[in-house]
Amino acid sequence: MNTVDIPRLREIVGEKNIKTDPLDLYAYGADASVYHASPWVIVRPDNTGQVQKVLAYANDAKIPVVTRGGGSGMCGQTVAIQGGILLDMKGMNRILEINMPDVYCRVEPGVVDDDLNAALKPYGVFYPPTPASSRIATIGGEIGNNASGVRSVKYGATRDAVMGLKVVLANGDLVTLGAHTRVEASGYQLHKLIVGSEGTLGVVVEAIIGFVPIPEFRCLGVANFDSLRDAGNAIGEIMASGTIPSMLELVDDVAIKAVNKTMGLGLKEVAASLLFEADGKVMEAVEYEVQKMKEICEKNNGADLWYSFDAKEREQIFMGRKKLFPALSQFDAGLASTSLADDMAVPYSKMADMAAKIHEAAEKNGIIMTAYGHCGSGCMHTKIMMDTSREEQWQGAKRAIAEIYEYVNSIHGTTSAEHGIGISKADAFKVEKMDSLKMMAAIKMALDPNNILNPGKLQQAPEDWVTATDLRYAVNS
Amino acid sequence: MQIEKTKFENLEKWEGMLAKCIRCGYCYEHCPMFKYTRWESDAPRAKNILAHGLLTGEVELTPSVAEKSFNCFFCKRCEAACSSGVKITDIMLDLRRDLVKLGYYGPGTTSITDRSCARCLQCVRACPHDARDFIDGEGIVVDPVKCKSCGICVEICPIEAITIPLSFGTDKVELERRAVEFLHSRESAKVIMYACNWSYHPDIQNSRLPESEIEEKEYEILVNLCGGRIDQNLLLTPFLNQAWGVLVGVCPDDECNHNGQEAAKKRVKRMKETLENLDINPERIHLVQIPNGDKQLCQAEIDTFMEKINQMGPIR
Repeated sequence: MNTVDIPRLREIVGEKNIKTDPLDLYAYGADASVYHASPWVIVRPDNTGQVQKVLAYANDAKIPVVTRGGGSGMCGQTVAIQGGILLDMKGMNRILEINMPDVYCRVEPGVVDDDLNAALKPYGVFYPPTPASSRIATIGGEIGNNASGVRSVKYGATRDAVMGLKVVLANGDLVTLGAHTRVEASGYQLHKLIVGSEGTLGVVVEAIIGFVPIPEFRCLGVANFDSLRDAGNAIGEIMASGTIPSMLELVDDVAIKAVNKTMGLGLKEVAASLLFEADGKVMEAVEYEVQKMKEICEKNNGADLWYSFDAKEREQIFMGRKKLFPALSQFDAGLASTSLADDMAVPYSKMADMAAKIHEAAEKNGIIMTAYGHCGSGCMHTKIMMDTSREEQWQGAKRAIAEIYEYVNSIHGTTSAEHGIGISKADAFKVEKMDSLKMMAAIKMALDPNNILNPGKLQQAPEDWVTATDLRYAVNS
Repeated sequence: MQIEKTKFENLEKWEGMLAKCIRCGYCYEHCPMFKYTRWESDAPRAKNILAHGLLTGEVELTPSVAEKSFNCFFCKRCEAACSSGVKITDIMLDLRRDLVKLGYYGPGTTSITDRSCARCLQCVRACPHDARDFIDGEGIVVDPVKCKSCGICVEICPIEAITIPLSFGTDKVELERRAVEFLHSRESAKVIMYACNWSYHPDIQNSRLPESEIEEKEYEILVNLCGGRIDQNLLLTPFLNQAWGVLVGVCPDDECNHNGQEAAKKRVKRMKETLENLDINPERIHLVQIPNGDKQLCQAEIDTFMEKINQMGPIR
């Protein structure tokens, strides 16, 4: 193990921007995944020059560098499984420019998503990829992960919003990628390559990102279905109809029961519910879109159809979906809600089958799983609820996950829709990308020959996610 | 690395709940300590991780670990934001109970009394949490489990013998320094608002705006974490540094965890009298009561006050 020259790092970032106490290191060893591994030192740079110096040093000394934003990743992306320097980018948190005439803003990577949107609001615009964790997720972390959220079905993911990046490479060199323009025809579009690379190719120190106008009208509807198949068919038909939903969410029966059980919302316990929303500047146009989606749901045996423009009523309808995350955590006193097999994307026509497969794999392996997600983007989320202290539950989860991703692969889906790969989904990722792994390794080798940037993630992740690193849970037997 | 486990009798019962914390981090955006230091290891999630590590033996009990466990202002915003219903403050209180038994007393954010204490016992009477006592031969003793770091004792001590060692930007000297710094930083600066809670802070929270956005800024919000901490100097300092007005935000009567709003009301009333005696419009200082999390109301109160202050103009 290479040792870190702490005085050297202290000289680069200053005393106030470095932590070496074992307690701090332990606290920074976790994110929202199932893993835990302490880094050797935490460094919080204030500016690009410091990032360059830290990387140049780490590259020379061959010390791993793990870049971290809000630490809200679900797959272990920011867990320093090989130790090394943890680069906490929350120190670089300035919104540098809001450029209305050219419709972009420039931000440092530590800017928090919600803060950016609060700053953009007075201008009547918003940054749309916004994941559910937007209150703490940083723009840098969202770029590393190619984050998206409920409205990405209409407005796209982070990769669609990023126009340009300033990136510090492994050797400390600073490169400017992309442009200040919406289009850029030639070359390798290297800024897009950095998006979703999970900190393995460089450290983003500045981003040029686009924004869109805040719509004047939003209309949200709901439809209940007695079968997942019907809900799945409705999703496919809506997306094929030319309708442009600004949100299209699926929640399954497990999710509905969880919300009812923990929040007492009294939702009708059906096989599946669809939430559909349209937005825009013209009320009639918005209503036209929603009406069309409603008709498609009706045609596919959707019941209890209802929609509203009213903000309070919309909030009421959306409450169930919004409360799902906490509801799953509080589902059962003896069960923890773990981020495993947490997302995937499948073709629209396979949505219902995917949800059914998740239920089947869960039942077979003695765990509880739910299926929900931004199905308008083909995105499906799950959580595994299990007794994390029991070894057999982990083995059951492992089998269920293997079955689920085997199915995802067989129907030409993809391993991650928006949460990323990190460690926990790497097994499936490596199978899915089997024929391009060498290409990825070549890119990685070209940009980071000493393999210092977030080593052991994505295609480099260890084979078995359960034993890849220490689990954050105390597993007894 | 596994080390020899220490027995944590009170903390043990929370093992299951600590596993239920999904470590989403939604708690730390609200934490006043995180907002001040911006280190995740000062935030509530880190406290859960720490408690878990102590129980599993992965974290060695050291004075710095103990100190961290005594850092909390008990605003409980973390619990309100917790997606898993984890009782973060209850867990930390049980950890504190264990730590006290093991001989660790913080102090962290708990208050301590200096030897210069004149034993007037005002702090004992004023403490809303019954955390202070006078023991013959020992003087004033503070129960580090009961102390909720509201700072009311700090404010009431006539000889300034009480301090909160780790203030996270909320001690009077720091607040006064920041008020003066803002008022002299730009032509547009007119008003200081002391807000007892971050929860209704309407500005962006953990990022920084471009300088061009704030160059015309007219007011600065300084979070002091309990209205009960406000003293006359804190209210007077802005006026001595060209401020046009001072706005004080505290919790509604039935919401304050420390009954600090009553003290704040008295001090604002007294400052109004002082201003009147100096022939200054007493409306230049104003107290508003804002429920937890009500950013809209806070912004509306600020806007109304700014409008009034702009009509009054500077103090001549």
